[in-house]
Amino acid sequence: MGFRAAWALVLLLPGGLIHGFPKPRGVEDKSLHNRELSAERPLNEQIAEAEADKIKNISPPENTPGETNYSFVDNLNLLKAITEKEKIEKEKQSIRSSPFDNKLNVEDVDSTKNRKPIDDYDSTKSGLDHKFQDDPDGLHQLDGTPLTADDIVHKIATRIYEENDRGVFDKIVSKLLNLGLITESQAHTLEDEVAEALQKLISKEANNYEEELNKSTSRTENQAGKTPGKVTLKATTQNGFTNRESDETISNTLTLANGLERRTKTYSEENFEELQYFPHFYALLKSIDSEKEAKEKETLITIMKTLIDFVKMMVKYGTISPEEGVAYLENLDETIALQTKNKLEKNATDNKSKLFPAPSEKSHEETDSTKEETAKMEKGHGTLKDSTKDSSSGPGGKTDTPKEKTEAYLEAIRKNIEWLKKHDKKGNKEDYDLSKMRDFINQQADAYVAKGILDKEEASAIKRIYSTL
Amino acid sequence: MAGPRGRALLALCAALAAGGWLLGVGAQEPGESAAGMRRRRRLQQEDGISFEYHRYPELREALVSVWLQCTAISRIYTVGRSFEGRELLVIELSDNPGVHEPGEPEFKYVGNMHGNEAVGRELLIFLAQYLCNEYQKGNETIVNLIHSTRIHIMPSLNPDGFEKAASQPGELKDWFVGRSNAQGIDLNRNFPDLDRIVYVNEKEGGPNNHLLKNLKKIVDQNAKLAPETKGVIHWIMDIPFVLSANLHGGDLVANYPYDETRSGSAHEYSSCPDDAIFQSLARSYSSYNPAMSDPSRPPCRKNDDDSSFVDGTTNGAAWYSVPGGMQDFNYLSSNCFEITVELSCEKFPPEETLKSYWEDNKNSLINYLEQIHRGVKGFVRDLQGNPIANATISVEGIDHDVISAKDGDYWRLLVPGNYKLTASAPGYLAITKKVAVPYSPAVGVDFELESFSERKEEEKEELMEWWKMMSETLNF
Repeated sequence: MGFRAAWALVLLLPGGLIHGFPKPRGVEDKSLHNRELSAERPLNEQIAEAEADKIKNISPPENTPGETNYSFVDNLNLLKAITEKEKIEKEKQSIRSSPFDNKLNVEDVDSTKNRKPIDDYDSTKSGLDHKFQDDPDGLHQLDGTPLTADDIVHKIATRIYEENDRGVFDKIVSKLLNLGLITESQAHTLEDEVAEALQKLISKEANNYEEELNKSTSRTENQAGKTPGKVTLKATTQNGFTNRESDETISNTLTLANGLERRTKTYSEENFEELQYFPHFYALLKSIDSEKEAKEKETLITIMKTLIDFVKMMVKYGTISPEEGVAYLENLDETIALQTKNKLEKNATDNKSKLFPAPSEKSHEETDSTKEETAKMEKGHGTLKDSTKDSSSGPGGKTDTPKEKTEAYLEAIRKNIEWLKKHDKKGNKEDYDLSKMRDFINQQADAYVAKGILDKEEASAIKRIYSTL
Repeated sequence: MAGPRGRALLALCAALAAGGWLLGVGAQEPGESAAGMRRRRRLQQEDGISFEYHRYPELREALVSVWLQCTAISRIYTVGRSFEGRELLVIELSDNPGVHEPGEPEFKYVGNMHGNEAVGRELLIFLAQYLCNEYQKGNETIVNLIHSTRIHIMPSLNPDGFEKAASQPGELKDWFVGRSNAQGIDLNRNFPDLDRIVYVNEKEGGPNNHLLKNLKKIVDQNAKLAPETKGVIHWIMDIPFVLSANLHGGDLVANYPYDETRSGSAHEYSSCPDDAIFQSLARSYSSYNPAMSDPSRPPCRKNDDDSSFVDGTTNGAAWYSVPGGMQDFNYLSSNCFEITVELSCEKFPPEETLKSYWEDNKNSLINYLEQIHRGVKGFVRDLQGNPIANATISVEGIDHDVISAKDGDYWRLLVPGNYKLTASAPGYLAITKKVAVPYSPAVGVDFELESFSERKEEEKEELMEWWKMMSETLNF
């Protein structure tokens, strides 16, 4: 596993190179240590202070340990990610017209904006930021004032609305999470805000659309594409949507859904040639039956695409050299090959799938492939050098936990039964003990649920496992 | 050129994709891919112990797994809730879980009271799993331990702080983020400062044990106490703990009472009456941890003052003064002897180091557990054989008493030597016994106390007897 070793080595390097990190105080100032330790200032104070500092004097994200707040700097980081994403998307997608383009175009024209705040915070960039000087993506409003958080949220919502793709948000957020620029809770907050903004947009558009429909019976292709459809960011949005929308939009939904599919399909197919760098992956893709496992194939393609985009972005900003980028992509392909092999071996020998009534329910919950992708990215993120897993509170955190957890529990129960059998060798007491055990477990499981030690699904899973033995 | 951060990110991406693909394909086949995932994710696993950080859900799941595997000898319960509502989970291991068997001493391990001092939390999860595994394998030491002790393990007293610490991106964690609870309270400064009271009592006369009599009411009404602190105080009052350890990080030493200096200075050796046994207890931990007891180990940070460290142990106040800590609270409010163990120079080290921390501490954790079976133990009963609770057991030469629990049982940790033990209770005549105490095991000494009224009855009877004899002899 040379790859892993290299990877481990590489990730150890940043440790020494991050300078601004506070070093633990020496014990010679123990009295200071004591005083400091006698009471930590309440969180509110600290946050307020951090906010104030950041507004005054923006510092790079690597140098702000601990308290990252949804502050001005983070907004800018977010913007940067959005703008990059926008750039990449623009390259691939066909020209679209939208009522919102006007606003962007106007901002394009103004080329006298300054880029300093953005330059400041990303110390890894090496002078490839001339593209920002024209401010093509509206980092400032028309009058030159910087965008507020609300504006940014509105922009994201707009973008999602335009593209009718929830995946936009997921991609942005997952990139930011991966870069460590925002925390999970910030991602949630952002999601909420964007959902709200989107909801407003949709209802506004619905009203406009109704008006237009009343005015003229003919609609252009573009308009159809723009009317509110199945775009949902979370359940509440969806509920609001279904409550408010009229019947007209249901027919639009169908046309829109087709449009959506069409769009994602073109996205995947036209970029197949990029995947020539991945012979193994390519072979894998081919091997997947397009009809049966279209969703799977799509997911795979999206993952690879995002990765390639990410690598491109890093090369663009000079974070890595093109050769390194290629090397990594090649490495990746090899890893995929290895994993394929392992997986095939595992398939051949493993037959535990019979004992899993519960988990399959949850694995099919995810119908949105981009949500799955985010979930996977977050999970993958958790297994790596970041010393903790953040699958607990992430939006996608629940996808694999029930399976793994139930397996762990099953394993534990199996060991228990084995041990009990060994230690209760008193004739035919085996069966008797099992039913007694079952009752005891049922009782305990319920007691634990009442106390908050187990949750209901776990308790029922455990009871179910015992009842099948 | 290409920054290391860039490389790191790319590596992240690469593994991410590989993993992501595997997970993606696995969505359709629960059984097989779950196992594949488990193999990939559990980077280091040994015998069901996965050496990785556990967030709150994983912590809970790990304890539930131990319980499921060892239902006969384990039980999970909660001592209360953290400020943000997370359960303060405890797993209990004993041959009769949930029940205090008379004469069976109670032990506790508490970890992660500073949320960013993460090694203790993980070690305790590993320990729970380990004890369960070894018990089932028939490991004699562990089997005996579990049959003769009631072991309580609380991996995290500050789950909120841990979440905050663990949520920091990247490997390097801040020295203070996540240390305190969600209210910003440093839990190890939040306990009632009984040391102060004791120091006054030493000068002016007064007790130095079981202070805070009407405890529950005071505790509940005290607005300054964090919910975590309150939970622990109730826990300590409800269960007659004998021995305990409080796991921390940031240095590498076993620290014993008192933690607060008598004079109020920054550091000064402040011994408690049981200094001898505490030194022995601290050593029993440190001597089995190769790094901790290494005499040529350099201090954790270049300018650290570890002049008070001896054989990997230190008096708390000699190192630096800590008021309101949990360790001294145990000693001064209950029978429990607690030490504070600092497990790692780095408070929140990288996940890959967890396995080696386990290897370094495994034997210490077990050996320290075994210390509970030292000194003297027994029952205090009345002449009818009924247990006398809250009887005082004092040792000549050591100015600190313990009291008997509900079943009249008591445990008194002592270093080897010859002692005179006195058991007394209100309304009863005190009895003193001589005991020769070896290193281990604990010597059994029971007391049958005669109450005053019984003695009065006896004396009355004697008098009657004498009167009868006299009257018969003298014919009146």
